[in-house]
Amino acid sequence: MAIVNLSNVTYKYPLTDSPALQNISLQVEEGEFVAVIGPNGAGKSTLCYTLAGFVPHFFKGELTGTVEVDGKDLHKATLNDWVLNVGLAFQNPFNQISGAKYTVFEELAFGLENIGIPPQEMKTRVHEAMKLTGISDLADRSPYSLSGGQQQRVALTSILVMQPRVLVLDEPTSQMDPIGTREVFGVIRTMAERGMTVILVEHKVEWIAQFADRVIALHEGQLLLEGTPSQVLTSDLLPEKGFGISRYTSVAREAQKRGLWKEEKLPVTLDEAVDGFIPLSPRMRGQG
Amino acid sequence: MHERLSFYTKRDSSLHKLNPLTKLTLAFSLVLISFISPWYWTPHVLLLLILIPLSFLGKVSGEFLRALFRLILPAAGFLFLMQAFFQPIGSSIIFKIWFLDITKESLIFAFRNAMRIAIMVSSFTLFLLTTHPSELMSELTRRGLPGQFAYVIISTLQIIPQMQAKAQTIIAAQRSRGLDTQSGFLKRVGSLIPLVGPLVFGSLVEVEERAIAIEARGFTSTREKTFLYDIPDTNLDRALRWMLILLVIASLALRIWLS
Repeated sequence: MAIVNLSNVTYKYPLTDSPALQNISLQVEEGEFVAVIGPNGAGKSTLCYTLAGFVPHFFKGELTGTVEVDGKDLHKATLNDWVLNVGLAFQNPFNQISGAKYTVFEELAFGLENIGIPPQEMKTRVHEAMKLTGISDLADRSPYSLSGGQQQRVALTSILVMQPRVLVLDEPTSQMDPIGTREVFGVIRTMAERGMTVILVEHKVEWIAQFADRVIALHEGQLLLEGTPSQVLTSDLLPEKGFGISRYTSVAREAQKRGLWKEEKLPVTLDEAVDGFIPLSPRMRGQG
Repeated sequence: MHERLSFYTKRDSSLHKLNPLTKLTLAFSLVLISFISPWYWTPHVLLLLILIPLSFLGKVSGEFLRALFRLILPAAGFLFLMQAFFQPIGSSIIFKIWFLDITKESLIFAFRNAMRIAIMVSSFTLFLLTTHPSELMSELTRRGLPGQFAYVIISTLQIIPQMQAKAQTIIAAQRSRGLDTQSGFLKRVGSLIPLVGPLVFGSLVEVEERAIAIEARGFTSTREKTFLYDIPDTNLDRALRWMLILLVIASLALRIWLS
C-alpha cells in the first residue's frame, strides 16, 4: 500500500480566488524517491506544505479531497503529530535555523529535544546524521557563521535526524555548488534506499534524471505529467509550458530535427547525450 | 558580523559551574536584600564584600570591573547627583547652590538609591557574564517555564545581531544605488525609509518561515521535552539557594522588626 495517498486534493489559500492546487491525485510507495518539477507558481511549495500538514493546519484556507500518510487522515490529525511522520525542509536555510541554539550540534538536537528523545540516543542520532550529510566538522560552529550551502546541509540534517517516514524537500540544494548538490542527492538516494520515502522539489533536472524513481510535473496547480524521469523530462510539453529543461535535451531535440540523433529517446544527462549523436561524416565535418 | 548579543564569557571557574538557577537566585537575592534591608549602607557593603570577590572567583573580574567602573558607577553617580539636588525632602540643609538645597536627608536618599541601582545592574552583569543563555533557558524550561517563552528570549538574543547585519547590507545596497546617508540630518532621516521597508517586511516573512521550520521540528509537540545536556544541580547548589532565600527572609524580618 502507498504510504502517501492524495486524492482529488484542491486547496485555496485564505483571501485568494484561484486554487493553488487543483484536483491533485498522487500515490507514493514507501522508499520511493519522487521528484516534483514545475515553473514558478505551479504549486510546488504548496504541495510540500500540504504533504507536511502545514496546509491546512498552519495556513488555514480551504482543503478538499483526502490527504493520507501511513493511513492517517490529515483532516483528523494535529500538526504536532503529523510532523513526526513527515519531515519538511525548504529553500531558505537561514530561516530554518531555530535561533535558539549556539552550536550546530545543539541546533540538530533541537527537534529531538522537542519530541522527547533521551539524551543518549539524541547524541547518537545527531552524530550519525552529521556523518551522513558530511557536516561532522561543523558540530561546534555557530549555525549563523556558516555559508549558505553549509546552512542548507544543517537544515536538511536537522530534519533527517528526526527520522520521519516521509521526507519532503523543497529545493534543498538551491544555494549549493555542483559538488554539494551531488553529495546531497547522494544522501537523499541513500535515505530512500534505507526505506525513507522522499518527495523532492527541484529545478536541477539533470540530477533528478540520475537519482529519482519518478517525476511529477506540476503546472498552474494541476498535475501535468507523471512518469519515469526519462519519460517526463524529455516530454515536448515541458518547453511549451515554460518548464526548465536539460540543455542536453534541447540540443538533442535540435539534432533530431536535423536528422543527427539516432536514438528514439531524448537524453537528459550528459552520459545519455554522448551516445546518441550520429557521428558526422568527413564531408559534413568539412562544411563546418 | 556574527557578534552575539550576549555577555557570556567562557571561563573554567566554580562560578560558571554552578547551576544557572543558583546564580539567578543569587542575583535576585542581592537585589532584594539591597532594597529591603533596614540599613542604608547595606548595598554599598554588599557590592564590595560580595560581588567583587565573586567576579574574581568567576575569573571574569576584568570584564566585571570594566563594566563597573566605566558604566555602572558613572551612571549611578549621575543618578546620585540628580537626586541629591532635586529631591525636596528633609530640612537639615548642608549647603546651598543657587536655588538648590542639599539636605542630609536628600543625600542619604540619593546615595541609597544610586547604590541600589548599581547593585542591581552589577549583580545581573556578573550573572550574565558567567551564565550561558541557552543553559539558563533549558534549566528554566526543565523547571516549568513554558518553552515558547524561553524560545522568544533566547532567539531574540541571536536574531537581533542578524537583523543588524541585514540592515547594514540593505544600507550598503541602497548606497550603491546612490542613496545619500551621510549629509544633513533631514536627509538622513529620509534615507531611513528605504531601509525600514525591506527590513520590516522581510522580517515578517522570515517569522512565518521560521515558525514553519521550528514547527516541522516538533516545537509544539505535546510529548515531554528532553534536554541534550544535563545541567548539574549539586547539593552545594541547593544549599546555596536555601541560604540565599533565608537571608532575604532574615532581612525582611529585620526590616519589620526595626521599623
